[in-house]
Amino acid sequence: MSRHVKIVGAVAVAALLATACSQGSATRGTTADAGGKVTLRYFTFSAAPDHVKDLAAIEQAFEKENPDVDVVVETAPFDQYFTKLQTSIAGGTAPDTFELNYENFVTYASAGSLLDLGTVAGDGAGGMDTSAYAPESLNAFKRDGKQYALPASFSTVVLFYNKDLFDKAGVPVPTAGWTWQDEQAAAEKLTDRKKGVYGDFQPVQFFEFYKTLKQAGGAFLTPDGKKSAFDSPQGVKAATWLVSKVGKTMPTEAEIGGTADYDTNLFKSGKLAMWHNGIWQFAGLKDVPFQWDVVVEPGDVSKASAVFHNAVAASSTTKHGKQAWAWARFLSASPVAATTRIQSSWELPPISDQQVLAGYLKDPKPANRQAVFDSLKSIALPPVIKRQQEMQDAVTKELSEAAAGRKSVQDALKAAATEVDALLG
Amino acid sequence: MGRVLRYLLVGVGALVMLFPFGWAVITSITPSDAVLAVPPDFTPDGASLDAYGRLLETLPFWRIVLNSAWIGAASTTLQLVTSAMAAYAFARLPFPGRGGLFAVYLATLMMPLPVLVVPLFIEMRAFNLVDTYFALLAPTIASAFGVFLLRQAINQVPREFDEAAVLDGAGHFRIFLYVVLPLIRPALATFAIFGFMASWNSYLWPLIIIKSPEFMTLPLGLATLHGQFTTQWDVVMAGSVVSVVPILILYVFAQKHVIASVAQSGLK
Amino acid sequence: MSVQQARPAARAGAPVAHAGPKRRRGWRYAGTVALFLLPSLVPLTLYTLIPMAGSFWTSLHEWDLITDMRWVGLGNYAELVGDPDTQAAFLHTLYFIAGYLPLVYVGGLGLAVLLNRAMPARGLLRGVYFLPVITSWVVVALMWKWLLNPASGIVNWALGLVGVSGPGWWTDPDWAMPSIILASAWKDLGFVMIILLAGLQAIPREYQEAAMVDGATAWRRFRHITLPLLSPSTFFVVVISLINGFQVFDQVQIMTGGGPGGATQVVVSQIYDLTFRYGRAGAASALSWLLFALVLLVTIVQIRGQKRWVTYG
Repeated sequence: MSRHVKIVGAVAVAALLATACSQGSATRGTTADAGGKVTLRYFTFSAAPDHVKDLAAIEQAFEKENPDVDVVVETAPFDQYFTKLQTSIAGGTAPDTFELNYENFVTYASAGSLLDLGTVAGDGAGGMDTSAYAPESLNAFKRDGKQYALPASFSTVVLFYNKDLFDKAGVPVPTAGWTWQDEQAAAEKLTDRKKGVYGDFQPVQFFEFYKTLKQAGGAFLTPDGKKSAFDSPQGVKAATWLVSKVGKTMPTEAEIGGTADYDTNLFKSGKLAMWHNGIWQFAGLKDVPFQWDVVVEPGDVSKASAVFHNAVAASSTTKHGKQAWAWARFLSASPVAATTRIQSSWELPPISDQQVLAGYLKDPKPANRQAVFDSLKSIALPPVIKRQQEMQDAVTKELSEAAAGRKSVQDALKAAATEVDALLG
Repeated sequence: MGRVLRYLLVGVGALVMLFPFGWAVITSITPSDAVLAVPPDFTPDGASLDAYGRLLETLPFWRIVLNSAWIGAASTTLQLVTSAMAAYAFARLPFPGRGGLFAVYLATLMMPLPVLVVPLFIEMRAFNLVDTYFALLAPTIASAFGVFLLRQAINQVPREFDEAAVLDGAGHFRIFLYVVLPLIRPALATFAIFGFMASWNSYLWPLIIIKSPEFMTLPLGLATLHGQFTTQWDVVMAGSVVSVVPILILYVFAQKHVIASVAQSGLK
Repeated sequence: MSVQQARPAARAGAPVAHAGPKRRRGWRYAGTVALFLLPSLVPLTLYTLIPMAGSFWTSLHEWDLITDMRWVGLGNYAELVGDPDTQAAFLHTLYFIAGYLPLVYVGGLGLAVLLNRAMPARGLLRGVYFLPVITSWVVVALMWKWLLNPASGIVNWALGLVGVSGPGWWTDPDWAMPSIILASAWKDLGFVMIILLAGLQAIPREYQEAAMVDGATAWRRFRHITLPLLSPSTFFVVVISLINGFQVFDQVQIMTGGGPGGATQVVVSQIYDLTFRYGRAGAASALSWLLFALVLLVTIVQIRGQKRWVTYG
């Protein structure tokens, strides 16, 4: 008797406990608390794990200026960020403000999930000061004439090179004037497969393809954006350029063997001469035991550098539009945010103030930091459609079929074009 | 000959099984720049516990472990109780529609989780339970897997035992507690391990329902070590090693329990 | 509460009433059943059945999670049935099961039988075989990717020693699924082992001893005593492995991400991509219900068929 009472009791206690702990925290809302302070949620993928402290510094400075606002930061790894964001929007618990990258911006803006910041921007000092931003960056987050997000950071892709390897092989180091031919010739001379040294590394995927396509003078979509345009001679040229490196001057998929961060480690271990990668790698290369530098990526008929943009948007359902605006503005254009980013090499602030940006050049490594700004003179923005992820996956999949030699470049592009057209259809 | 072969087979197999764990331990003490060398270096120079230090530094680690531990313990306890009771009903209490209801239980196992998390999130939102311990726990209170496992175990218990108890005038609760439960202790111990493991390793649901860092569980914590462009593999491995230890302890404990209960019940 | 006084049911059929009015006993018995069932039935309804209903509702809509749902009736189902990606995903899943299930069952049974007999350090050995089960897929997948690394992995190195040039494993569309099957079977051997061990330990030793007295060979004892008496555990392992096999996902996600060239895109990978990457929650829900129907059918066939081979005590 007593035993089974215990069991029933245990279940009851557990249920009570569960209810109790749920009630304990169910009241944690996002509305103003007792002191009249507004809690503003900000959801971000770019802070963790390396820049949590930098974001905290910006947040503190903001709260000092805006004592009535308490910013609560939530972070998620990039892989899972959009899973979480979508679910919270679906469930009606969207964060007040959140980070979006350029590729995903259109999806959210056209879905009506974003607040038109123009409607909450104040006048005068607290208002929309378009002159504070680099105009291309600001315009990237405009849709139908409405500013749905403020650009907060950007980074570009450049060509990293191991100066020691070049010097040892007696090959002149890359310059801003290089073309694909120069890169290829150097890569072939520098590759020494017996020693495990490779001349070049450029991943065969969507992001490299749209960029090299532009370098070759082609276009990804037709001007009206309704059909694919990359199954063209320029497309074949660009894809062939990427695919031809694999197994010659660059390791194959099988050699990489799915090793995480393979290219990063290859470069860091001094066995990679040229590396197409983003400026976010600067911090990690501080202590490598060889000389390295960067240049603007070589072009073909023209130069084109990839730019990745992140922006701060506010949810269309937020109750704190004013505060969301203030935070987005502070995070994107305030001197504190800009200098924090520059000092910690946390990408670059998309601001127009050249003096602040000049601080970026003070850091001695890499010597040619100017290349980062030079790369902005001719940029390639990724094509953006509503079914973005499916398009990226389809193009990457077909390109890797070609890279593995299972399909010809022509067949792969044809198949990719068919799939992309279906997605646009 | 048969015996030698048997030992050899089991021994070599055991080495193969030990491999990944040993590898994870080695990776976790390898200096970060030497991690992911191919082929791996099994005697890394400059081995250090640095990664464990950074694990403690970058994450509120003890808080996270404590969260995972108590949620795991609570969910295991609840599942053991609810599943054993339902299993008894399905094995020993005939009622109209029993087969159908059991099929419904089983059917809940057949729906892939990724498609359930969104409706479940919306439901939790309606109950105002988003970002709470209860929401983490809720989907694990009942386990159809456990009901099934324990029902099979109860079905293996010879009915003569219950019938003897009935003759002594025992009711269902008594039979359940004093006859059936002791006899299925191996299955209960097995299920305790799986229940705890499921909670301890669960990732997608906590990811979606939890916002505040103070509710973070271990898999979520480890996931934050993956950046957009880089991952600290040695720290990830250190975290993985640490995350296996509690289950290992639980297993050793349960394993002892299994053997003890078998000896005790005189079933062997 | 006097439920514990309710008499247990006899071997089959409704409870026998031998005290008190029939109706009152019936109610009391119903109360007992309810009390045993409700602790699991209530949470199961709230946290699984209701979300399942929600996903069915979703399957009748087009929904990207961030805009309002749009009713499309059975449109998602109609679209999926003719969709080559969906068909491929089902084929890949069946391929996985066909390779995985025999491997993991035969291996697990062998281990259980071996480790059920007295031997030195038996408990430790069982623990060792159980290690992969409790190690996270992240670690296991990373390790297997390295073991099966086409260029520098230990497996191809060993194959090279005996003069075989190893395949490209998970970088080759033809070998990617076998690689995943191998890693999964390796990881789950301990799971099958422990379930079957628990089953083996429940077999009364007297049966074996009686057969030994009769002079039955080890194989005959295994075939005619152990296997039939183990059949409830086997049934459990097969049903659960099939249910889990149809939902294979984690290892695929971590090892190949569905590649190369979509060769390992299984149904749940497709569901995950559709929901969270492609903004097509409606289609994902419809696909889940198609998968559900298939798994349900397979399970019903097994439950119907169990009378032929499963022996309960």
